[in-house]
Amino acid sequence: MIKHVILIAMLLAIYAVFTVSLQDLEQIYQTSADYFREFGVDQTGSNNLVTAILLDYRLFDSLFEAGILLIAVSGIIWISKHDIEEKNARFMLDKFKTPDLFVTFSRLVYPLMLAFGFYIIINGHVSPGGGFQGGAIVATAILILYYIDADKETNIGMIVTVEKFLYLTILIIASLSIFTRGTFFTNVFPYETSSTSTQVIYLVTLNILIGFKVALGLWAIFTAFLKEGR
Amino acid sequence: MPDMLEITAYALQVLLIIMALAIVTHKNTGTIIVLIAVFSLVTASLYVINKAPDVAIAEVAIGSAIIPLIYVISISRQREFIVLDKAMDDFIISDDAFTGVGYIFLKRFTDFYHLELNISNDVRLCSVGRGREQKLCEETNVDLIVSKDEETGKYLLKGKQSNILMHKLKQMARDYDTIEVVTFKDRDFGD
Repeated sequence: MIKHVILIAMLLAIYAVFTVSLQDLEQIYQTSADYFREFGVDQTGSNNLVTAILLDYRLFDSLFEAGILLIAVSGIIWISKHDIEEKNARFMLDKFKTPDLFVTFSRLVYPLMLAFGFYIIINGHVSPGGGFQGGAIVATAILILYYIDADKETNIGMIVTVEKFLYLTILIIASLSIFTRGTFFTNVFPYETSSTSTQVIYLVTLNILIGFKVALGLWAIFTAFLKEGR
Repeated sequence: MPDMLEITAYALQVLLIIMALAIVTHKNTGTIIVLIAVFSLVTASLYVINKAPDVAIAEVAIGSAIIPLIYVISISRQREFIVLDKAMDDFIISDDAFTGVGYIFLKRFTDFYHLELNISNDVRLCSVGRGREQKLCEETNVDLIVSKDEETGKYLLKGKQSNILMHKLKQMARDYDTIEVVTFKDRDFGD
């Protein structure tokens, strides 16, 4: 009982702090948001200002965010590492067999999920979404494959290697702007000379790379979980 | 007259607190997983109301799809007790039904711990010789190997000594004359 009272008190305290901190939002909106709203589309070529900030103004932050995911994946793989070969017994009575309805429905939904994920990745500069969100949806679609076919074999080492190389590619493409603009981590095409449609090329490329990197990272995480219990 | 959207937002916030309390207080793991998924959905709708659709998409994809699925996988893997049946006689299956002495004994044991009993007679694994049985237990997900001692007629249940369940199994097997529990000493894995 005391535990429950403490728990409720803590939740109420968190709620109070949250509501108090919300009152400063007005001030935050006034300072930098006006700048992004005024020059954002012209300077970056992105209609979605969130993508404009993530892939242009604050690309440095986004790169480390992607790096954190890579480190998390490496940590999970390292903890669940097995040197011995994995084998699984076939069951005579498998209580955890996936229901047939779920399998059939997954087969139906899988291509749609994949297409929706790619749509969100590629359309990241126009509509809500982007590399991270689309990558997560693609990873969910891949996860559903394991419910359809439980004996699916995956090579985790390969996934993580590809992910590392993708991360390096993202870093190189992000740094290319040193030659054209003179600063690191911004759009390759200078906004004074190139049109909006040229700048979009850079945004789409980076979104696709980040999307694949995130999808591979999440794939590696749940493959590690799948192997661990067996 | 306050805005309809505002009322919805307040209602969702109250729902969020209720969900959080339900997740903490609930006992059944399956229900908790569903509650976590619903919690994420409510959060995502709050993000949309507060004009952050980008964050909402990420929340829906990760919070209500990947995390519950990972929980389902890990929990279902942890709750199995896998038995490899090498004896291949009426110890476990008699008359094509699970009515053998061994099955009833193992069923009593797994019900005691609320585990799911899984019995396997995988040809690939059953063909492993007697000397390599310990290695089989270490390399695969098999918890217990059932085999028959031809000389004494006893059924041997073999498992790893580090498995805490084996102690209870030994105690329970004292009532049966035909069952003997054998444990393998663990080798050092170096980790």
